Amino acid sequence: MRALCWNGVNDLRVETVPDPEIVNPHDALLRVTMSTTCGSDLHFIDGYLPTMKAGDIIGHEFMGEVVEVGRDVKKVKKGDRVVVPSFIVCGNCWYCDHELWSLCDNTNPKPEYQQVAFGYPTAGIYGYTHAFGGYAGAHAQFVRVPHADNDCFLVPPGLRDEKVIFLSDAAPTGYMGADFCGIQPGDTIAVWGAGGVGLMAMRSAWLMGAGRVIAVDRFPERLAMAERFTGAETVDYSQVESVVDVLREMTGGRGPDACIDAVGMEAHGTGPGYAYDRAKQALHLHSDRGQALREAILACRKGGTLSVLGVYGLMDKFPFGAIMNKGLTLRTAQQHGQKYMHRLLDHVVKGELDPSFLATHHFSLEDAPRGYEFFKQKKDGCVRAVFTS
Amino acid sequence: MASSRTTTALREIRSRGEESWGEVRSGQWSKAASAVVAGTLMSLGLRRRSLGGTVVALASGALLYRGLQGRKAHRPAAGRETRHGHAVEVEHTLTVRRPAEVLYRLWREPSTLNLLMVDFAQVTTTADGATHWEIQEALGRTLSFDSRVVEDHPPELILWESTKDSAVKTQGWVRFRPAPADFGTEVTLHLALSPPGGVVVEALAKRMRAIPAMRAMKVLRRFKSLAETGEIPTLDHNPSARVRAD
Ligand SMILES: NC(=O)c1ccc[n+]([C@@H]2O[C@H](COP(=O)([O-])OP(=O)(O)OC[C@H]3O[C@@H](n4cnc5c(N)ncnc54)[C@H](O)[C@@H]3O)[C@@H](O)[C@H]2O)c1
Ligand SMILES: [Zn+2]
Ligand SMILES: [Zn+2]
Repeated sequence: MRALCWNGVNDLRVETVPDPEIVNPHDALLRVTMSTTCGSDLHFIDGYLPTMKAGDIIGHEFMGEVVEVGRDVKKVKKGDRVVVPSFIVCGNCWYCDHELWSLCDNTNPKPEYQQVAFGYPTAGIYGYTHAFGGYAGAHAQFVRVPHADNDCFLVPPGLRDEKVIFLSDAAPTGYMGADFCGIQPGDTIAVWGAGGVGLMAMRSAWLMGAGRVIAVDRFPERLAMAERFTGAETVDYSQVESVVDVLREMTGGRGPDACIDAVGMEAHGTGPGYAYDRAKQALHLHSDRGQALREAILACRKGGTLSVLGVYGLMDKFPFGAIMNKGLTLRTAQQHGQKYMHRLLDHVVKGELDPSFLATHHFSLEDAPRGYEFFKQKKDGCVRAVFTS
Repeated sequence: MASSRTTTALREIRSRGEESWGEVRSGQWSKAASAVVAGTLMSLGLRRRSLGGTVVALASGALLYRGLQGRKAHRPAAGRETRHGHAVEVEHTLTVRRPAEVLYRLWREPSTLNLLMVDFAQVTTTADGATHWEIQEALGRTLSFDSRVVEDHPPELILWESTKDSAVKTQGWVRFRPAPADFGTEVTLHLALSPPGGVVVEALAKRMRAIPAMRAMKVLRRFKSLAETGEIPTLDHNPSARVRAD
């Protein structure tokens, strides 16, 4: 089959690779009908996440049609049209049972990396680093889905792929980020990053009863989307002296009740802090560019909640004192998609959530490297590139 | 909650006279220094994306653990181990969400050990009920030996030892103890091994010295997945643009 492979930093190519097979009894094989880019991919494309191997098939946000199932698959059937969360879960372990799905104990075939780096291994992901299992990704004609009964969700009839595809990753991530905020009616929620994840967090905050939502980014078209599709107020951080000051003024001197980081380790920034981060990262001293997260910590009102969705590795100059002294609640996770999928599908069916506006650019799988170029450079207002084969 | 109930304990115990690692552990380097050095090695190893890099990463991972665990690692877990004076001893615990009886039975099933050891050894049952191990070596040679269960306390403990005439002296045990709340059963695997003399010694000892803790961890992880889900996560036939797809 054809698949998009990572061959090195900033080197993506579509290649002919072997077809996947049913290997374990709970596996299903999917013909991928649509897959999409995610900001998390940029971190390893740019070389900031270790444990990629040349030749890896990438892509973790996808949907498709079931073409074959293993002998112990009970619910999922050949011909089903399904959407699949990016994290692979077993459905049987203590973490799955407690709805901490992305922490599943039984889906990472390479636990040694995370055992060392994090103390305990988390779940596996499709098409991501080998620390997250090294599974073949979904920017391909076919993909193997382990534990199909827990990982494939039937798409209600009548919904276009574009309306459903983001329920694989961007939408549940944003939804979880808003859920973490424990929103009380009328709360003000500020969101750093108006990419796919941030935009979904903004929309979700409304669905959960927020009174105001504020988007922080610098790309006019993304801020315009935040305004148009989620009803957020906007702050262009490149046009203001201090985002923290602006947010404080916008909120009567209190600060937002909760702050969501939907930016991650490659935050762009201004000023000496950014230059320091950038220099260290360029020298591969492996620390993150943390401008957005640092701002979110400082901007958040006393006793508020900090919800971190952006992916991080090692960060220094981390203002932990501000979290501690202001009594902030810190919530964070890789997305627990299986927890939110039914609720999200329900919102989509009822017309309360329509993530299809994220799909700004369509490419064929053969053209996927160009799709990533558009996505990464935010060319032509690209928010998410979607691929069909 | 999770931190006060440490569900995974990783300990490595080695007999006295083990020079290099022992020194690193026991004071020439402070705890902090060894953790920092290991952390640096680890990120170097992980970044190089090569097999060598992986080995550096894993070896320094073991070092990191030792740095973090400090001298505690010197305390033997039970009297038996040090008396035997094995070259390599490792102990690892995981919590598995199944009752001890189920886990005990699964461990004793003839096919189970082979599934757990798949990338390390071939394990079969001989006609007279012993367990036959074949370990493929880096030098293309095969090291084989037999072991036998010498203590059996269902559903709590199974202890095995290599038979008298085996070239390799090994001992191992697995223990099942109830975990608190709804966590299931705490499973501890203990492995001890003294390689035989000759050329093989060096190769095997080197290999075992680099990653024994990781080996035990992976064996237990496989066991846990098999017990909890009926299958073991795998990258077999995982497509990629490489020749070997793992
Ligand atoms: N927790 C999870 O499970 C999960 C899932 C998906 C993505 N992520 C992570 O979420 C983050 C965002 O993902 P995405 O797909 O939306 O990425 P994206 O690249 O599409 O969007 C990131 C946005 O952040 C903006 N930004 C950069 N620096 C900023 C700053 N200093 N202040 C405010 N905005 C800034 C960029 O302009 C961009 O619009 C990434 O780190 C990604 O890895 C996490
Ligand atoms: Zn993602
Ligand atoms: Zn699980």
